[in-house]
Amino acid sequence: MNLKIGNFFVKDIVFGEETRFENGLLTINKEEALAVVKEDEHITKADIVIVMPGDSVRLVPVKEAIEPRVRLDGRALFPGVTGELARCGQGTTHALKGCSVLVVGQHWGSFQDGLIDMAGEGAKYTYYSQLKNIVLVADTDELFEQREQQKKNRALRWAGMRLAEYIGKSVKELEPEEVEEFSLPGVLEREKSDLPNVALVLQPQSQMEELGYNDLIYGWDTNRMLPTFMHPNEVLDGAIISGSFMPCSSKWATYDFQNYPMIKRLYQEHNKTLNFVGIIMSNLNVALEQKERAAQMVASMANTLGIDGAIVAEEGYGNPDADFIACIVALEDAGVKTIGLTNECTGRDGASQPLVTLDEKADAIVSCGNVSQLIELPPMDRVIGELEALGRDGLSGGWDDDELLGPSVREDGSIIMENNAMFCGDQVVGWSPKTVKEF
Amino acid sequence: MKKAIHYINQFFGQIGGEDKADFKPEIRKGLVGPALFLNTVLDAEVTHTIICGDNFMTSNKDEAIEIIMSELEKLDFDIFIAGPAFQAGRYGVACGTICQAVQERFNVPVLTSMHEENPGVDMYKKEMIIFQGGRSAAAMRNDLKIVANYANKLLNNEELLDAETEGYFSRGIRHQVWREDGVVAADRVIDMLLKKLAGEEFNTELPIPSMEAVPIAPPIKDLSKANIAFATSGGIVPVENPDRIQSASATRWGRYDISDMDRLEAGVFKTIHAGYDPAAADADPNVCVPLDALRAYEKEGKIGKLHNYFYSTVGTGTTQGEAARMAKEMIEYFVKENVDGVILSST
Repeated sequence: MNLKIGNFFVKDIVFGEETRFENGLLTINKEEALAVVKEDEHITKADIVIVMPGDSVRLVPVKEAIEPRVRLDGRALFPGVTGELARCGQGTTHALKGCSVLVVGQHWGSFQDGLIDMAGEGAKYTYYSQLKNIVLVADTDELFEQREQQKKNRALRWAGMRLAEYIGKSVKELEPEEVEEFSLPGVLEREKSDLPNVALVLQPQSQMEELGYNDLIYGWDTNRMLPTFMHPNEVLDGAIISGSFMPCSSKWATYDFQNYPMIKRLYQEHNKTLNFVGIIMSNLNVALEQKERAAQMVASMANTLGIDGAIVAEEGYGNPDADFIACIVALEDAGVKTIGLTNECTGRDGASQPLVTLDEKADAIVSCGNVSQLIELPPMDRVIGELEALGRDGLSGGWDDDELLGPSVREDGSIIMENNAMFCGDQVVGWSPKTVKEF
Repeated sequence: MKKAIHYINQFFGQIGGEDKADFKPEIRKGLVGPALFLNTVLDAEVTHTIICGDNFMTSNKDEAIEIIMSELEKLDFDIFIAGPAFQAGRYGVACGTICQAVQERFNVPVLTSMHEENPGVDMYKKEMIIFQGGRSAAAMRNDLKIVANYANKLLNNEELLDAETEGYFSRGIRHQVWREDGVVAADRVIDMLLKKLAGEEFNTELPIPSMEAVPIAPPIKDLSKANIAFATSGGIVPVENPDRIQSASATRWGRYDISDMDRLEAGVFKTIHAGYDPAAADADPNVCVPLDALRAYEKEGKIGKLHNYFYSTVGTGTTQGEAARMAKEMIEYFVKENVDGVILSST
């Protein structure tokens, strides 16, 4: 399968008469863009704001991030989700680079939502402070979940995807500045080499039994799937979208899937130091039998494919650590040399056990952060969304009050929170410049 | 200038060798033995030297601590340094003992240094910063320089780096840090993977600690006479959540009187746990805290008595440390109210 991603580097974003891209300048017709957002009658209020790295802006509750893209063959950007089912991973996609569509709740936050500071000390905690962001701030009539801590955030997430697709269309007819090509021959059609066969095992979020909260693969809920083999291009090309459940620093946004750095890194090594066989897509279900079944199937698939080395990455912590460790142990027992890619929960004082389960066979782990680290940040000039949501609505890293620390949100607009609520802060997909050290 | 106090044993205090190991602690104004050198490398004035016999500290611990504390009460100091103790076992334990006492009483930073084989390391490394020192007094200057380097950062409010970089024994505390070289996770994975595949040495970023297995309790001999309590991390609480238990990363717990109930009614109890779908537990809280089944067991005589309260907190995101603390607080009630066994449910 061969995928071409034509890149257009965005240098500035402004509102204007016509949605178009020229010489690095992305112009958005706000009215037209908002009409696309409001195609769903459940969107009751919506606005679009442009924020740049260095702006004194705090965004919260941030629900999702998507890279604006368009498929040249007219296929939906996320088949099975925003349009009819179609194959992902081959053909040509155009992408606007250096920017993202961020979806922010105008009022209501939920467990999985996060915070982004575009400037100051807080900016270092998330990748998304480095991007030029087209921020959709909206509210919905989904009253059934308005006061619930767990929200599907369906209308908002889908509106974000439509908006990303609408903006992406501005580069459909243009010549890209750069073309990235991702190509792997069929597994059995590769030239014989002595390079080790390597697979990437992904464990996207799938913990909720009720549909609507989990990551979707071609529109299919990951809770209802068994491990399966996929081409890496499918992930890069919209086959999978982020869900609405995971504490935010552990979350993989849809943007993260579209740009998955660990996949791109494996492509760089392909045919040089290793043979990148492909992706074993697993999940993170909650019942013990489901965890064991998935781990065993991953190991069988690895043996069937003749995998020598594997990387296991989990989207989550806590209960999913059991899947993560079980999968590593099953692979090691199957003779596959395995690296784990995860974050940790060592507590605010750093003294707790880093993963819920541990096993000495998991002897090679790259660690991307501590979800429970306390972060204190000064006020920003402007808040987009609603700052109170951090403390009021049960965001995983916020609280309404605490005996020792006081409320998360203070009267002067300064905040104290756990890393848990930093938007995709631990960057387990591969961007993380953080690690965890002993003190 | 800030002030420091240095603790040393009878040998380095120039009192004498093994024959003087019973020497009672004395505090002296000014510098004795290694304190002279410490004073030259520290960004603080070493105002006093404490000298104590190793045997006296280890055999008369309470008395030794009390003598030293009563002297320290009269002084003003910003940091407390003991040793280095090298491989000397009793000296190492003495350094750990006095550092712990000073830390608790005065809440000032305490630092010491020992060789890794010194038994004081395992006894005290979780309680304080112990630098990795040499085997013998030949390493004195070097060891003190390492201690002073860290002490100076503390005194000057400079950034403190991790245990390995600073040269002390890990306290079992793990914090996130930004790598100086900025190498991102994907690159680190490839580096580790290629080394592991080639059979070369690699360094995991999450060393798996040796397991602390909790022994399984012996069975209750006669369940029909036992007083059984029920505890859950599934977040079942009265609907108003009177103890304001957090729905994730909990630090609070509650116990709720069930003495006049045969089951937990929906609408009276619910779950506040944010880590699982609450629908089933809200509709019937007995699926998480099975009061109905336990009452049936009580009537059948399978268990002697159901304890009058159930105990509840939330497990999702809750750290092991907080969980252990909450359990210890619950245990006080279990012991006081003669509970023989506890059933623990998760989610």
